[in-house]
Amino acid sequence: MGSDIAIQCSKVSKKYCKSLKRSMLYGISDIARNALGQSSRSGNLRKGEFWAVDDVSFDVRAGETLGIIGSNGSGKTTLLKMLNGIFWPDRGKISVKGKVGALIEVGAGFHPLLTGRENIYVNAAILGMTKRDVAAKFDSIVDFAEIGEFIDSPVKHYSSGMFVRLGFAVAAHSEPEILLIDEVLAVGDLSFQNKCMRKLAEIRKNAKSVVFVSHNMESVQVLCDRIALLEKGKLLYIGDSYEAIQRYASLANDTRYQSMKRESDKAPAMGQHISSGDIIVHKLGVLGNEGNEITSVHEGEDITVFVDFKAKRIISDPNISVAIRDERDFNIIWHKNIDRNIHFHNLQPGPYRLKVTFRSPNLEPNVYRVVFGLKDADTGEYLEKITLDSNVFKVTGSRIPRGTVLCESDWELQPTGI
Amino acid sequence: MTDKITTYEPDNSIKNGYLSLFKEIFLEVWNNRWLTYQLFKREFLSLYKQSFIGVLWIFIVPVISVGTFVLLNNSGVFTIGDVGVPYPVYAMLGISFWQLFAAGLVACSNSLVKAGQLIVKINFSKKSLVIASVGQSIVAFLIQFALAGSLFIFYGISPSFATVLVPVVAIPILLLSLGLGFIFAIFNGVVRDIGNLLSIFITFLMFLTPVLYAKPSAGILVKITRYNPLYYLVSLPRDLVLRGSFTDWGGFFYGTILSVVIFVACLFVFHLTEARVTERI
Repeated sequence: MGSDIAIQCSKVSKKYCKSLKRSMLYGISDIARNALGQSSRSGNLRKGEFWAVDDVSFDVRAGETLGIIGSNGSGKTTLLKMLNGIFWPDRGKISVKGKVGALIEVGAGFHPLLTGRENIYVNAAILGMTKRDVAAKFDSIVDFAEIGEFIDSPVKHYSSGMFVRLGFAVAAHSEPEILLIDEVLAVGDLSFQNKCMRKLAEIRKNAKSVVFVSHNMESVQVLCDRIALLEKGKLLYIGDSYEAIQRYASLANDTRYQSMKRESDKAPAMGQHISSGDIIVHKLGVLGNEGNEITSVHEGEDITVFVDFKAKRIISDPNISVAIRDERDFNIIWHKNIDRNIHFHNLQPGPYRLKVTFRSPNLEPNVYRVVFGLKDADTGEYLEKITLDSNVFKVTGSRIPRGTVLCESDWELQPTGI
Repeated sequence: MTDKITTYEPDNSIKNGYLSLFKEIFLEVWNNRWLTYQLFKREFLSLYKQSFIGVLWIFIVPVISVGTFVLLNNSGVFTIGDVGVPYPVYAMLGISFWQLFAAGLVACSNSLVKAGQLIVKINFSKKSLVIASVGQSIVAFLIQFALAGSLFIFYGISPSFATVLVPVVAIPILLLSLGLGFIFAIFNGVVRDIGNLLSIFITFLMFLTPVLYAKPSAGILVKITRYNPLYYLVSLPRDLVLRGSFTDWGGFFYGTILSVVIFVACLFVFHLTEARVTERI
C-alpha cells in the first residue's frame, strides 16, 4: 500500500441471498465453518445467491474526496459498509489506513427515550470517540446542532430537523481520518444543509479522505475529486466527475427507457387512445436513415417520425398532429400539416405510412415519446388521438442533461462598476 | 495521520493465526471500556424511563416467585426440604444469584438482535454490546441482594462474614452467563427461534436446579444435581452468605473450570463469527 493511499480495494466482492430462510441456513453454515477455523469458501455462489458487489477495485488517495454513484441496488451502500468494516468482503481485500468514521444514517444510535445530552454521550462512544473527546467537544456539538434548551428533553420530542442536526453534529465531531458518508446531506433545511457542506469542506481541508455516496448529482459533482460509477455491483467507471455523471445519466436514460417500454408492454399502457374507428393506427415510432425502425437518436440529429395507419373511409381534409413529448408530458415539438399549408385532400380508404422529419431538433439526452392525432378539418371530427407511452425513444449524447433544449453558449463575466 | 492499517478480507483470522486473536480480543474489550459503559447506560436508562415505578420492577418479579413458593410450601402442595434458615431468605438469595445467570443470558442473547439497526449502520465493538447487557443483570442482582439483606433484618438473623467474598465467588456464574450469552447472541442473530427456545429452556433449568428448594436427597434429581454446575455456582455463594461455609468445594471448582472454559471458547467463536452475523441480522 503506497504512502499516499488511504483506502485500497482490490477485487472486492460481496454476495447476498435472495431468500431469507436460505440465508439463515447459509448463515449457520458460514458461522460453523468460521468457528471451526475452516475457510468459509465464500468465493463461490450457492443457490439463490448473487453478487451485490462484484470484483470492484479502486484506491482512494489521502486527502481525496471520492464520490460513488449508481442507481438503486447498484451496491453503493454495501460497498460503503464494507469500507467501514460492518460487512466483510466475500472475495478480495480492503485495506484502510487511519481511523474510519461513517455517517450511514444520521442519528442511527439515538434512543428515543434518552435526552439529547445522554444520546450525545452514547452516540459519540458508538462512533468511537473517547470520554475525553466528548468532554472537550460537547459544547461545540450542542452549538452546531442548534438545539439550545432542548438538550435535556428526550429526543423523541425533537422535530425531525433537530434530530438530524444533532446526529450530524455528533458524527461530524468524531473527526475521523477517513469519513464515509451515505446520502445524509439531503436532510434539514437549506441553512443547515449549507452548514453541513461547510463542515464537510473543513473536514476535507484537514487532509482527510472522504467517500461520499449520493443520488444528488449536484452535490457529488461539487464535492468530489473523482467519482466511481457502480452498476449491478460492478465498477463501470472511475475518474473524472463530469464523465462519470454523464455516463450515469446515460445509464439512467437507458433504464428509464427500458422501464417505460416494459410498462407499456403490459396492457393497458398509460396515456390516451381515442379512436372513432375510421382510422386504425398499426404502429408509430421513429425511423433511422435506412428507413428502419429505431429506438434512439443521437443529440442534434434529425428525428423522423412515422405512423402506419389505415383509413376506413374517405377523409376530405385530414388535419394531422405529430408531436414529441417529454417525461413531464410537455409538448416539446408539435407540428400540424395545416399550419404549414400542407394538405392531403380526399384521402382514400387504404393503408398509409406518414413520415414527418423534424430538422435537427436540439433535444438534450432523455426519453421522449411520439404523439399522433388526426382530425377531419372539414367536419371537425376527432378521428384518432394517440398519446400512449409505448411509443418511446431516447436521445443519446455526451452531455449531462439538465434542461430540454441543447445549444452552445458563450459566457462572459465582467464588473459593471455599479 | 496514523499509519494503522486495517484489513478486511474473508477468513481474516485464519490467515493471522489463532494466537494473535487472544491479544486482539483482549485489546478490543479493554479499549472499549467506556463504550461498554455507555451502552449499559443507554440500556439501563431506556428500560426504566417511561415507567412510573421504574427500578422497582426488579423487586416485583422475585418477590412474586418467592411468594408463590412460600404459599405452595405452606399449603403442603410442595415440600421445599430442610433449608436451615427462614425460607424467604434462602429463596431470595438463591433467586438473586440465579437471575445473575438467567437474566444475564437472556439479555446477552437478545443484545445483537435488539441493536440490529445499529450494528448494520455503525461499526463498533459488538462484544461491548453483549458485555453491556450483562450489566442489567448485575444491577438487578444488587437490588435483589439488598432485598435479601432486608429479610435478614426482618428475621433477626445475621449474614456471615464470608459475605464479603460474594463479589469473587459470583464471578464464575457471571462468566458462564456471558460465555453462553456470546454464543446465543450469535445464534439468535441468525435464527430468531433460538431466543424463544432459550427462555423456555431457562425456566425449565431453574426448576431443575435447587434454587428455590433444598438439595434433593432422593430420586433422579440427585444425579442431575451432582453434575449440574449451576447448582454449585448458585449454592456456594448462598451458603457462604447464610452459613459462612460450603461443603462441596470440589463441585464449585468443577463448575468454575467449566465456566471459564465455556467463556473463553464462546468468546473466541464470537470473535470469529461476529462479522457474519451482521450480514444476516
